[in-house]
Amino acid sequence: MENVQGGQKGVYCVNVEFVEHNGVLVAFVLADQIDASSAGSFRDNILGKIENGYKRIVLDLTKVDFIDSSGLGAIISALKRLGEDGDLAICGVNEPVMSLFRLTRMNRIFNIFDTQEEAVAALGTKGS
Amino acid sequence: MLRELGCDPPSLKNDIVRHIRLSLGKRPRDCSERDYYLALSYALRDRMLERMLETEDRYTTADAKRLYYLSMEFLIGRSLGNNMINLELFDACKEALTALGVDLEEVREQEVDAGLGNGGLGRLAACFIDSLASLHMPGFGYGIHYEFGLFKQIFDNGWQKEKPDHWLDEWTPLELPRPDQACYIPVYGRVEDFTDHTGRSHPMWLDWNIIVGVPYDIPIVGYAGQTVNYLRLFAARPSTEFDISIFNTGDYFRALEQKIESEKISKILYPSDTFREGKELRLLQEYFLVACSLRDIVRRYLTSHNDFSEFPSKVAIQLNDTHPALAVAELMRILVDEYALNWNKAFELTRKTLAYTNHTLLPEALETWPVDLLEHILPRHMQIIYDINAFFLLEVEKKWPGNPHRKSRMSLIQETPDRMVRMAHLAIVGSHATNGVSVLHTELLKSSVVSDFNDLWPERFSSKTNGITQRRWLLKSNPQLADLITQAVGPKWITDLERLHELEPLSNDTGFQDAFWEIKRKNKQRLCALISETAWVETIPDALFDIQAKRIHEYKRQLLFLMAIVYEYLQLIEDDICPPFAKTYVFAGKAAPGYTVAKRLIKLINTVGQTINTDPRTKGMIKLVFVPDYRVSVAEKIIPAADVSEQISTAGKEASGTGNMKFALNGALTLGTLDGANIEIQEEVGKDNIFIFGLTSSEIAEYQRTGTYNPHIVYENDDKLRRVLNALSSDRFCPHDPGLFNWLIPYLMDSNDQYFHLADFAAYIQTREQIAQAYSQTRDWTRKAILNIARIGRFSSDRTIQEYAREIWDLHPVQPRV
Repeated sequence: MENVQGGQKGVYCVNVEFVEHNGVLVAFVLADQIDASSAGSFRDNILGKIENGYKRIVLDLTKVDFIDSSGLGAIISALKRLGEDGDLAICGVNEPVMSLFRLTRMNRIFNIFDTQEEAVAALGTKGS
Repeated sequence: MLRELGCDPPSLKNDIVRHIRLSLGKRPRDCSERDYYLALSYALRDRMLERMLETEDRYTTADAKRLYYLSMEFLIGRSLGNNMINLELFDACKEALTALGVDLEEVREQEVDAGLGNGGLGRLAACFIDSLASLHMPGFGYGIHYEFGLFKQIFDNGWQKEKPDHWLDEWTPLELPRPDQACYIPVYGRVEDFTDHTGRSHPMWLDWNIIVGVPYDIPIVGYAGQTVNYLRLFAARPSTEFDISIFNTGDYFRALEQKIESEKISKILYPSDTFREGKELRLLQEYFLVACSLRDIVRRYLTSHNDFSEFPSKVAIQLNDTHPALAVAELMRILVDEYALNWNKAFELTRKTLAYTNHTLLPEALETWPVDLLEHILPRHMQIIYDINAFFLLEVEKKWPGNPHRKSRMSLIQETPDRMVRMAHLAIVGSHATNGVSVLHTELLKSSVVSDFNDLWPERFSSKTNGITQRRWLLKSNPQLADLITQAVGPKWITDLERLHELEPLSNDTGFQDAFWEIKRKNKQRLCALISETAWVETIPDALFDIQAKRIHEYKRQLLFLMAIVYEYLQLIEDDICPPFAKTYVFAGKAAPGYTVAKRLIKLINTVGQTINTDPRTKGMIKLVFVPDYRVSVAEKIIPAADVSEQISTAGKEASGTGNMKFALNGALTLGTLDGANIEIQEEVGKDNIFIFGLTSSEIAEYQRTGTYNPHIVYENDDKLRRVLNALSSDRFCPHDPGLFNWLIPYLMDSNDQYFHLADFAAYIQTREQIAQAYSQTRDWTRKAILNIARIGRFSSDRTIQEYAREIWDLHPVQPRV
């Protein structure tokens, strides 16, 4: 397990815990919001993992109460970077955050699952 | 639970004391009137909330269709008295407070008006939600929780000055914050097309700013207290308290910028009545209302339904004017973008759900928004509006092939001189029903402003004449007259105003006439006290009270009333023509802060009043008063005192009016033009019981069409008119400020007297002479006044709501358990 913090001094960082399950990287967001002040470092963290070769990523947002357009933009950046041969699933989305996903149609672009287990299982069955 | 709460005086007294101790942390002996007001409000709120919960359970069990009335304005006024009356606890509360050594009237005076509206449109919305609850209908008001309501008006040397109205300081007990039901509302940003795995394109709205909409509920008690609906008002909050990264650098104020920017959306009600502001903040307010409301409505619907197939059969949304017209685009966005419905299905559902009320034909009031501005604030909505327009124009083309002028006129987008979105067109296209607010207004609407749409969809247009709630406008504000009526014909008129017809035989009964007259005199005494206290003029209750109370606007023609007053003043002091009885002329109303002409009229009225009231030659026979800071609570004192109700708008301009109905309900005779609902009032009360004068809307239209109206000729040929205008525009009334009113005649002539003051003057003063003669015949006047009351029943907002419910909403009452 890797707990990632860090970034520029004075920039609020999103605490993310990374755990690998059967070739699927689970990024468990520990902060309660991903907004303009933290989206940059959050994005860099995820993109860094993609650069390191991870192609199937589950983003667990169980603890997240609020995500603004910068945060959503960071998630979309991750999806774009994964490209055709990668996959990004999201789980643990509460209703207020879900309303923002619907607003941006992200609910139709991402696979969204209720639990981490379901998300990991879904990406896992797609092969490594 | 209701039995546990108790509605008897001892139970109420105990609850008041309990709230003093446990809600206010005080002892009764240390309490002010304001503390008792708060404690009483809390005690009543307990009872209202119990009934509100029961009402909600009833609606849920029945899976009842719900009506959501979207309005930027709800001119509620004071609520304590209304709630006591509707809960049928007025006497019990009075007794409870008396037992505590407190006077109920002094407690009631502690309450400030909730002035969340400008005039008729906002007050109509308030009357409607009262009627919905009184008729046991599942209908809810949705609006904005303005921090500052309509400004307070004061007079400084006769000029209107505006002061902020921070009503919330005084109003807290009656509203319930609902932070758990807050919603996120995005604004600004851009749209980016994103292609998913299947190759399908999705327009994604990105980079928005988030505003949080927090609902506040105000219980709305129906008469007899069995049904309690609510008015839900949304307040804007920032998504984060402040940007922590900026705060960390020590720049506290910049960190608060976003908080301030977000909160300003619900900070203040725009104070323009019948005039579009065109300001970005106003557009943000309108979208904020629509987005919060639809988010809330859809969330509630989806708690008990799995898909949208039943949406129009469970939800009706009424758009009060075009201010919430963005609901068309927002509902489409929700259905298509968020819930993946196909376009045609989404549009069918949207149309079936929405309905639109038009309130004005005045061009300056018809809302349009620059395309650039809408694109900037709501980029996805602008795309949707373009798409709606494209499909709509196909329909137009099909109906009228090869007619580009028709398409250009009907398009949702005005192309020249500036590209603007026509909100009325959006509202009509996106809804299944459009109504005007009086028979005349609807006819003019169909034949002029939206004639193309009437040609295309005649079945969509109907008239729903406005109405007023008799509970506030008679039962509450004129309790003695209400008692007199109840003793005569029973109490059923309170929920069925047509019952007032049973008064007709009493119009000739001298005993009833005397009782009516005595009550009218007491109401005048109350008004005299108000005038003395606020306008510092002494008036007498035995005078004829001739009153014009409404927003100050050229089309309402306060100037015409003033011209007639000056005419009568000059007759008195120069021609020695003394009226047979004393007259008090009363003006009341506010001018929009930026409306220069209206503000000049106020100054003119006040200046003339100053002269008349201090001129010993009048011997006190005429007085002219401008009651400051007109609002609902002041209207409740002015209207019951009136003998003559001035409803003298230029024919064809006033869509309906509702003040006309309130005055008639309280036994004033109308002096008016054939405009708006005056026409229907005449039909109901009878031509002998109303004083009608002036050009009709057809005659005015003909003058305008032919260009044959020349005010110069009228001026030259009418000695009386010339004398009045010369007096007004001279220094006669402003000797210490020469030239102050020399704008008046050029103002009238340069605009070709577009509101026909000069044209109607002769007929107006002639009709006023008839009124003076009629008033001298006291018994006959009283008979007419009683007949007005007896025949005004049709103008209850209960009737209006029942028409909407039957013909537009398909809404049904959910009766309380017996």
